[in-house]
Order: sequence, then C-alpha cells, then structure tokens
Amino acid sequence: MATCLNSRFPALLAALTLALTAPAFAQSNPGEEKDETAVAEQVEALKKKVIRLNRDLFILEEDLLFPANTQVAVFLSVDAGKFLKLDAVKLKVDDEIVASHLYTERQAKALERGGMQRLYVGNLKTGAHQVTAFVEGIGPDQRPYKQAASLEFEKGTGTAALEVRVEDRSSDYQPSVSIVEWE
Amino acid sequence: MGLTVIKPFRTRSVLFTGALLWLTMVAPAQADEPGPERAKDLRYGWALYEYHQGNVFEALTQLAVAREQGGIEGHGDHPALVEGGLMLSWGMTREASKLFTELLGSDGAGSTLSPEVRNQAWFYLGKVFFLEGNRELAGENLERVDGEILAEANHDLFREWVYLRARVAMMSSRIEDVSKLTSLKEQLEDTDIWSLYLQYNSAVAALDAGDVATAEAELQTLIAIIQQSADSAEPEAEREGLLDRARLSLARLYLRDGRFDAALEILGDMPLNGVFADQALFDYAIAAAGQGRPDRALDALDTLSSRDLFLPWRQQVPFARAYVLEQMNKPQRALPAFRQAADLYQARIEELDIIRNRLTEESLMAQLDFTRDSDGILTDSYGRLRVQPSDFGIAEVLASETFQQALAELNELYQMQSFIAERQSRFESFRIMLETREQQRQVRIAETRRALESQQANQWQTLHEEFRETIATALAEEDAQFFMTAEQKALRDKLNEVEETLAGLPDDATTARQRETYRRMRAYFDWWIADDYGLNRWAAQKQLRELDREMQHFQAQRQRVETLMSDDGRHAELARRISASERELATLGQELAVALSNARRILLSQVDSMLVAQQEELNGYLVASRHAQARLADQLFRRSQNPGAGDE
Repeated sequence: MATCLNSRFPALLAALTLALTAPAFAQSNPGEEKDETAVAEQVEALKKKVIRLNRDLFILEEDLLFPANTQVAVFLSVDAGKFLKLDAVKLKVDDEIVASHLYTERQAKALERGGMQRLYVGNLKTGAHQVTAFVEGIGPDQRPYKQAASLEFEKGTGTAALEVRVEDRSSDYQPSVSIVEWE
Repeated sequence: MGLTVIKPFRTRSVLFTGALLWLTMVAPAQADEPGPERAKDLRYGWALYEYHQGNVFEALTQLAVAREQGGIEGHGDHPALVEGGLMLSWGMTREASKLFTELLGSDGAGSTLSPEVRNQAWFYLGKVFFLEGNRELAGENLERVDGEILAEANHDLFREWVYLRARVAMMSSRIEDVSKLTSLKEQLEDTDIWSLYLQYNSAVAALDAGDVATAEAELQTLIAIIQQSADSAEPEAEREGLLDRARLSLARLYLRDGRFDAALEILGDMPLNGVFADQALFDYAIAAAGQGRPDRALDALDTLSSRDLFLPWRQQVPFARAYVLEQMNKPQRALPAFRQAADLYQARIEELDIIRNRLTEESLMAQLDFTRDSDGILTDSYGRLRVQPSDFGIAEVLASETFQQALAELNELYQMQSFIAERQSRFESFRIMLETREQQRQVRIAETRRALESQQANQWQTLHEEFRETIATALAEEDAQFFMTAEQKALRDKLNEVEETLAGLPDDATTARQRETYRRMRAYFDWWIADDYGLNRWAAQKQLRELDREMQHFQAQRQRVETLMSDDGRHAELARRISASERELATLGQELAVALSNARRILLSQVDSMLVAQQEELNGYLVASRHAQARLADQLFRRSQNPGAGDE
C-alpha cells in the first residue's frame, strides 16, 4: 500500500511533465486528422458550389426582373472623406422616389475605400428620363450638408448604368455631387 | 498544462481583411496597373463595397457574376488578388492557393502586380497554411516572399515572416534547416516579441529532442531577456503572459528533476493574479511537498480547493491535499480528505458518464458561450468563432486548434444550410416572376395582333398580286396601251371623244376635213404610243419591282413579329434555368447534410475522447484515494489497538 501511495505522487509529477514532450500539432490521432482534413476539403468544395449557385441565382433573378433592354441601374461612389461624412442618399427617377439609404459607418467607409453601392435597379422604357440624387451628410466645419444633382438621359434599348459621384473638391474645399452615365 | 508550443496569433488581433485591404490599396503607388481607388468597372466597385464591409460571401458572388458576364476591365490582376484574399478569409485555403499560384506563378513572373503585393499574397497564404498545420505548404509559400522588399514595405510583417519561417524550420528534420534557423533568429532583435516566442518554442523543440539542458538554458535566457526589457514598447500583457509561461515551464523542468528549491524560487516570483497563478500554486505545492515543507504545500492546495471553477487539471487537487495531510502525519485528517476526494472523483466519473451518454450537439453547444452581433457569431481574422466555455470542463478541448476548426466548419455548414433554405424559398417567387413575365408577353402579343389586323395586310397582299398578274398579262400581250402614261391616256380619251363626235356629224366637206385631221392625229397618237412602249413598260416594271421590295420587307417584318409572338424560347430557357438551379440546390442540400453529419461526428468524438481521458485520469485518482483510505483506516485501527503509540 505504502509503495502505491508513494508512487502516486511522482505519478503526478510525471503527468505534469508528460505534456512537456507533446508535439505541437499532435492534438488528435492520425485517423481523426484524416477525417478532419476530409471534412475541411468537403466544406471548401461546398463553399465553391454555393458561390457558383448564388451567382447563377443572382443572374437568373436579374434576367427575370430586369431584362437587359429595360434595365437601369444607379450606383453610388464616394471619393470623399475630407469634406463630407456621408449620412444619407435619396434617389428620384422621373419625379418618383425609388431609393433612399441611411449609411452606417462601415458602409460609408467601404464607399470611401473605393466600393460602389448599387443604389437602385429597375426598369425604364426607352426615351428621355430624369434622375435626381439628394446627398446628405456632415460637411466642412461639421455643418450639415445637403446637395442635389440631376441628369436627363436617353434610355436606349440596352442596359443603362448611371453613377452618382460624391467627390471632394479641393478648389473650394467643398464636396460635390454629380451624376454620370456609363457607356 | 505543460510546456506546449505557443501560437501567438490567437492573441494578436490582426484583421485579415484589413491586411488585404492594405495589400490592394498600397499597390498603385508602386505598380504600373491602375489601383482600385475608383472602380473602372461597376461590378468590381460593387464587389469592393461588399469586400470592405467584410461581406465575404456577397463579395465573392459579385466577382463570380462579373466573371460570368465577361470579366472585370481596367483593374489588371487586382480582382483576382481580392478574390484570393476573400477566399483565405472564408477558409477556402486550397482554392486561394490555386488562384494565387495561377495568378502569380511560382516565381511571381508574368504578373502585373507589384512585388509588394505579390509578397503579401504569399505571406498570408503561407501563414494560413501554417495555422492549419500544413508545414509543407506553409514553408513553400513563405519561401516565395522577397524578404528585402517585405522589410521595406512593412517591417512588422517582415518580423512575423521571419518568425513563421523559423517555426517551419524548427518543425523540419532536415539538417540544413538547423543553420537556417540560426540565421533566421539572428534577423530578429533579442527583445522582439517574435524572437521571444521563438525562444520559447525553441525550448519546446529541445525538450522534444530530449535535450533538457538546452531547454532549461533557453527558458532561463528567455526569462532574463523579458525581465531586462520590461520597458519595451511591446504590449506588457503579452510579455508578462509569456514570462509567466516560461517561469512555469522552467519550474516544471526543475520539478521533474527533483530540484525543488530551484522550482520554489522561480514559482515564488510569479504574480498571484496572473493567468497561470493557479497552476503555479499547484506546482508550488508539489515543490514544497518535495522539499519537505508539507505545511506550505497544504496552504497552497487549500487555496486552490476554494476555487469555484472546475478545470480538468484541478482534479488532482483533492487527492494531492489528502496526500500532503498524510505526509504531515495527520491520518485523522487525511482519512476524511481521501474519502472526500474519492467521493468527489466517484461523483465526477458518474457525472461524466451521464454527460457522455447525453452528449449531443445541442448539449455541447449549451456549454459554449458564443459572442454575437447583429450579423451572427463573431469570428477572429482566421474564421475561428469567438467562443467561451460556459462549463470550464471543456475549456481544454475548446482551446485545441482541431476543435476550433471543427467548430468553425460546423458553423459555416449551418450558414450554408440557412443559405440553401433561404434560396429554396425563392424558387416560388421565381416561378411567379416567370408567370408574370409570360402574362405581360401575352398582353403585348394581343396588342400587336390588333395592330397588325388594323393594317389590313392581307388586302394589300391581294392587291399586289393582282397588279403583278395584270402587268404580266400586258407584257405577254405586248399591250402598249396598258403601259400608257397618264398624259397619253388623257389624250386617248380625248381622241375617243372626238371620234365619237365625228361619227355623229353629217357627211359633208367640213366633216370630211375634220375626219381627215382626226385620222392624222390618231395615226400620230398610235405611232407615239408604239414608240413610247418600251419606255413606259420599263417605268411600270420599275415601279413593280419597288413595290415587290416594299411588300417583301413588309412581309418579312410581319413574319418576324409572328415568330416573336409564337416563339417562347426565352421563356423556356428561363424555366429551364430555374429548374436546373432548383435541382442543383437540392443536390447541394444533400451534400451539405452529409458534411454536417461528418462535422458533427468529429466534433462530438473530440469531446467524447476528452471526456474518456478525464474519466480515466479520475479513475486513477479514485483508485489511489480508495487504497489510501483503506491503508489509513488500517493504520488508525492498529493505532487504536496500541494506545500510546503516538498520533499526530
């Protein structure tokens, strides 16, 4: 009995030090590791399929809802940051408000970093149309800032794409808003 | 809870997407190709908008859509680079590796990307493989980085790169990697945090190789460096944590060699509020007991016994406490302490039995406390979930890399499952969209038909045919009169009138003169008609040809409209795409179910293995406690039979 007890305490020490020699990545046995690798590969393959499927569904939805001959998309880009902190954007197409958006800090930053938001996508008949964008935010000297820009454009038989462009204007230290049509 | 390799990344919040953002934003300054500050392609701009928000899946989808619709123009290799970075962030390391290798080539030649950007692509790829435990691929990709360029572009990344290469070299068994390791260590200052981590891991490697003396020396040096560089600009908490870990490890080496004085000295320097305070306390108890100071050991163990949290390594405390009491020659106190320990181990073994029998994914998740925001469970830069154990009994397994990976994979699979469920619900909408589209088309067809009817197209066609036949007959009969001009026809009518009038006049000399004049006029007229026949016929035929052309054009247009009205090819194509996508989604759902089942099995098996190991260890303590109880009871009984033999 005494031997057993006495050997127990060194056993504690042995248990403590056993981990000292444990290899860095030997946290599971080889069979389990193989299983885990297989699952990781399976998950990666599934992710690839999910992206492909989402792509197909996205295109399908656009084809169903916004055929190419009537489609109009309006994007927003922000090349600003010094003179304007973007808060909100409202968009009118032919005197009807079709989109309005309030921006979180994360979204505003994403725009400032070169991202473009698809503000609106819809259908318009061929012919002349008017688009107006209202931009709100905090301008120079921390004062509320509002500016609008308008564009009359001719919708042809192909997809139309417009860009509402918010920029810093260094000539008068003010932000500027314009709408340009993409060819 | 011994000396294990440190992976410092877990404590360093390097934002992966942020790093890649720098990677793409820094490029234009040095590279020839235009940078992505202002998107030259709307779809790319959209992808960047999602990318900069960390919406990996949406960004990858937009890039895939762009590729499907003709690709992105004006940004060179940047879209592919961004895609690779997104894949890395989303755990698609193999795909990312493939993409980067295709994009940059194994030597980076042929890419339009700047060397700085290429360097970072290789660096992050290598780092992710290192974290996955794939030493070979990690080393391969890290070696592709140009150290000089990286050091100039981003020195922090350079230091980390040196550390990673050194770690890969440490894990290698090749002789040449030993000298390489030495040269890599020299590239870092002694006080650099990466150098300190290397020093610690170097001690582990020495111990792995059975070189205890080197391990001890490495740990002693490490402790000395950290203590001397206390004013360094590196975060103190990280250094303090590493210092405590090094002290604890060194103390354990001393304990293993029975050098209790040295162990006590090291452990005595450790703060009582540090991360490793409890383990240090336990080791202190062992050292004190070994040194022949059971009273100090008992104090330490009593302090540990009062802790609320149950950690697997603490299960030795009750037994150790009872043992120390016995060593102090206090059998009266030691016996109930062993009994209490045995009861506790028995109860815990039974508890673990119940836990194992009831172990399901739900019961496991109930023991995990996930950090969430409005978008779901938060993850770190490498996709690991931010999770804490609500039952500290599973803290050990939770901390393991394989469990973390399995947990992250399970979470990703659930996210994909919810994606599939959401998309499945959309198919009904797609069908309604298609139906509405078809209805609108039918309305437009009806309107077109009405418009065609109002054009009386058939009547015009008949008239055209009749006209053509008449001309053909006149041509066959060489009917010159038919081809007369309007002027000639008017003259003919006038002559006919004259002829009629002359026929009704009396036959006298005047009338004879007039009739003679008429005959001359008639003869001239007939000669004129005959002379103009060719010209008139050609004019009529020309008119007919023009009419034929116009009629053909009209007919072709009509035919086209009819074809468009009758052709439902577009509708059929859309319907086919809907059905194909639905089938694909269903297949994906099945594959996902299989993957989920596998991931679940692996996760539960890891926990179960841990519980089995805990049970086995507990059982060892239980048996030892029972033996001790029997022994002490026997001892006390014998003493009671021999009063005066001395007790406590």
